[in-house]
Amino acid sequence: MARSAPTEWTAPAPPGTPVNVAGPSVPLAPARSRRSRARRGVLFLLMVAVAAVMLYPFYFMITTSFHTEAQYQTGHGSSISSWTTLGQTVPIGQQLLNSTLICAASIAIILVVSISAGFAFSKLQFRGSQGVFLALVGAMMVPLQSILIPEYVNVSRLGLTNNYTGAILVYAALGTPFATFLMTTYFRGLPDELIEAAVVDGLSYPATLWRVALPLALPAIATVTVLQFVQIWDDLLVGLLFLQNPAERPITVGLAVLASGRTTSVPILMAGSLVSALPAMVVYLGFQRYLVRGLTLGVGK
Amino acid sequence: MAALVTPVAMSRSVERSQRPRRMRLSTQRRLTGLVLSIPALALVVAFVVIPIVQAVYYSMTQWNGVTSTWIGPSAYTQTFHNPAFWQVLTNNGLLLLAVPFALAIPLGIAVLLHERVRGWKFFRSVYFLPTAISWVVIGMVAERFFAYDGPLDKIIGSHTDFLGSSSTALLALAITFVWSMIGTNTVIFLTGLATLDTTVQEAAFVDGATAWQSFSNVTLPHLKRFVQLAFIMTVISAFSALFSLIFVMTGGGPGYSTTTMEFFVYQTGFSQSEFGTAALYGIVLFVMMAVVGIVQLKLIRSE
Amino acid sequence: MAEITFDRVTKVYPDGTSAVSELSLDIADGEFVVLVGPSGCGKTTALRMVAGLEEISRGELRIGGRVANHMLPRGRDIAMVFQNYALYPQKSVYNNMAFALKIRNVPKDEIDRRVREAARILGLTQYLERKPKALSGGQRQRVAMGRAIVREPQAFLMDEPLSNLDAKLRVDMRAEIARIQRMLGATTIYVTHDQVEAMTMGDRVAVMRGGILQQVDAPERLYEQPANLFVASFIGSPAMNLVEASLEAESGRLHCRFGDSSLAVSDICRQARPEIEAYAGRRVVVGFRSEDITDATSAPEAGADRRLKAVIEVREALGSEILAHFSLGEERAGLALAGDVIEEQDGGASSPRSRRFVARLGPRAPVREGERAELVVDTDRLHFFDPESGLALGRSRT
Ligand SMILES: Nc1ncnc2c1ncn2[C@@H]1O[C@H](COP(=O)(O)OP(=O)(O)O)[C@@H](O)[C@H]1O
Ligand SMILES: [Mg+2]
Repeated sequence: MARSAPTEWTAPAPPGTPVNVAGPSVPLAPARSRRSRARRGVLFLLMVAVAAVMLYPFYFMITTSFHTEAQYQTGHGSSISSWTTLGQTVPIGQQLLNSTLICAASIAIILVVSISAGFAFSKLQFRGSQGVFLALVGAMMVPLQSILIPEYVNVSRLGLTNNYTGAILVYAALGTPFATFLMTTYFRGLPDELIEAAVVDGLSYPATLWRVALPLALPAIATVTVLQFVQIWDDLLVGLLFLQNPAERPITVGLAVLASGRTTSVPILMAGSLVSALPAMVVYLGFQRYLVRGLTLGVGK
Repeated sequence: MAALVTPVAMSRSVERSQRPRRMRLSTQRRLTGLVLSIPALALVVAFVVIPIVQAVYYSMTQWNGVTSTWIGPSAYTQTFHNPAFWQVLTNNGLLLLAVPFALAIPLGIAVLLHERVRGWKFFRSVYFLPTAISWVVIGMVAERFFAYDGPLDKIIGSHTDFLGSSSTALLALAITFVWSMIGTNTVIFLTGLATLDTTVQEAAFVDGATAWQSFSNVTLPHLKRFVQLAFIMTVISAFSALFSLIFVMTGGGPGYSTTTMEFFVYQTGFSQSEFGTAALYGIVLFVMMAVVGIVQLKLIRSE
Repeated sequence: MAEITFDRVTKVYPDGTSAVSELSLDIADGEFVVLVGPSGCGKTTALRMVAGLEEISRGELRIGGRVANHMLPRGRDIAMVFQNYALYPQKSVYNNMAFALKIRNVPKDEIDRRVREAARILGLTQYLERKPKALSGGQRQRVAMGRAIVREPQAFLMDEPLSNLDAKLRVDMRAEIARIQRMLGATTIYVTHDQVEAMTMGDRVAVMRGGILQQVDAPERLYEQPANLFVASFIGSPAMNLVEASLEAESGRLHCRFGDSSLAVSDICRQARPEIEAYAGRRVVVGFRSEDITDATSAPEAGADRRLKAVIEVREALGSEILAHFSLGEERAGLALAGDVIEEQDGGASSPRSRRFVARLGPRAPVREGERAELVVDTDRLHFFDPESGLALGRSRT
């Protein structure tokens, strides 16, 4: 990310000002300095205002969750009742567990297939591998909604909507194209000689992947994991359709179903929302740089 | 070098490992590559490619989940006579109008933040944070925000239910959408700005450029590829990521006023059980995405 | 250790590029052979065929007497040092060196002994726990060497191992590698495009060009008796002065004439190269090294038939000597310097060559830029080449 702090531009010194090449920069004229300080102050306030807008939902969720439904309507008073009754209204523990399980399984599949395929496309090219790669990456442009009907028909005919399997496979298939693209790009960045050195050292190609390339791919693995985690954790459509058993609903789906009922108390919904948002937020803040790398991949330097 | 004489153990183990494999290295390489790419390929073929073919077929049938009758390509012309279809397409078009805002606002924020505002790293994280929350949660908050007597209503004092009125519901949806793209796009632009070679900017200033001239002649061209990336991601989101938002905020209504193509697929298929028509809308959506993709490719190629 | 034999080895890449043609070369056990030639001449390809990384299209490669064409790299027991070192970035120096041994199930204490021994030889002992990222270029290069050494392989292959180092380090490592190779007595094939490296390091040097082996010889012989125009111009810095001339017999003497200049071929030279007699009255390419030219003031006894009337165009004072770049008066335009011949043969691909002659004169030679000077050529040491085939005439002299 933006490691190098952006340097503020200082205008060229007026003519006649002695220029000290080696030493510190030319001191600014006092008037200019005052103006720039004012400018910085205004900028700072502007940024604070933007921050307020961006943080508003969190403010809303937190304050609302500490009301009862009645208090929410009037806007007065506070209570922790929505937190204490949250567990009774929603099977929140089970749903968190479901989300975790589905995320973990899908990501595991995505990682296994995208690492192998990425290594193959970048270092073990075979006849037609470029075409296969392009086709795979092209699948990125296909939104689930475009194939929603046949997908649903296929998965339910296979009887996979009655357990986690269907949703996990759909998530895995939807995440694979981008993950493969990312892995291929990453492995392309490794010098071919590294693989050849391992081969001369005596490794077979699968062993080279396992013992040399894989340990080097940890940053890419982190990027894929974090991106996919947030994507799957926050997804609604797949969970809504491909998990017919309410006991297997992940938390995002559970909340959406609750919300669409329009009878649930808003404070409880907000408490649930906060709980659901927390894991993804922690991941986001902790792994920001991997996310950014994934986001801007393909733009190059 | 007496100390470094080849021990017997080593050459023996080499021979042992060599015997079972008689294949040439290049054959091994190609074969391993093929085998390693099969799982990914199989997964995507089974869950993406085959369904596309099926979708084309389904789109030409009338199918309510029980009985299915073949209609043929005329299914498409029939659809074009459906006014709801055109309204939905119009909604998609209107959502595109939000895209410039979803790019310009983050661009402004990023450029200002890049001026090394005190605590810019903190601000960056704060702006990025909402990207972590699901569309479902954003939708739930937005629903209250735009509700009758909600926070916005109180500020404006207009006593309207923004989501309940067909003249404002789509606008409310678009605003929520723009808001939720701010984090991602700001971070994309900040990444782009971080790769900007400041000496070029300095050279521009030395040449006598004003701040605006430097921005439009140096910074913006440098950000071109990042703007393209943000553009394509924003358009893709507008067309295919708003399902949850619509599901939670409006359910597509009132009427069809907030139904976009992606939601239309779901609605037609799972509320009205018209699987054939739903598949057809899916194909339409696919074509829309393909057009966006091709335009993007053309833009990149034209350089 | 083992000998390596190329027997008419040819490599044609799938796209039709013929990278190596009919290469025949015997490398003795323990020998240090350098493959040298301009970039793209097929050196790396030849090396990779020995490593087993590239398939051999035709011909036979034997390692230790066994046909190795279809052996897998791991079966060849050969170690390779790559140009970019190809160190495993996530492994420490120790583990980089130990890795190949672990793969081969060498006992742990044996691995440890060999790694520490190699580290001692290479002066890496205090860096064993570091990651490659935390090493300087020279140290990384040593780790790459160490990784090869611990294997105790049949042969070492090195592909331009020094080209990523700065000039000073390159000179140091040059000596270092030569020392280690002699100490281990390991068969080594060393690839470089730098003729100075080739000349200083190899027991024998194989010059390649366009996939074709030009000459294999000890460095001195390569210098003294280049087999053809290409080798003559490639080996040696500054390059040999080459000029197209007509060989004329006059009252029992042979003169080569180019432009207004004329040099008499000495009797010693004629005896050493009897083949040139057949070229009397024909065109040849004549060559003389820059150090075989002196300024006339330090060789006053030299006859007129050894003198060149030169115009000094550039004078480079190097302290211990002066490099004088000169042309031969007004007639320059009419002269076909042999650099042109070589460029034609390379399809104009090689780097532009100097169109001037170069003389290596004593540090106090009285030459000034832009002025005339009389120079004397040691006509015992003239080289002759056939202008069509480019082959040397009378190479047989010992
Ligand atoms: N994988 C390849 N496919 C096709 N041509 C190649 C390949 N590798 C090298 N070449 C070509 O073969 C010739 C020799 O290359 P190389 O052996 O790398 O030369 P050097 O190492 O002497 O610079 C060059 O013309 C190069 O372009
Ligand atoms: Mg090379």
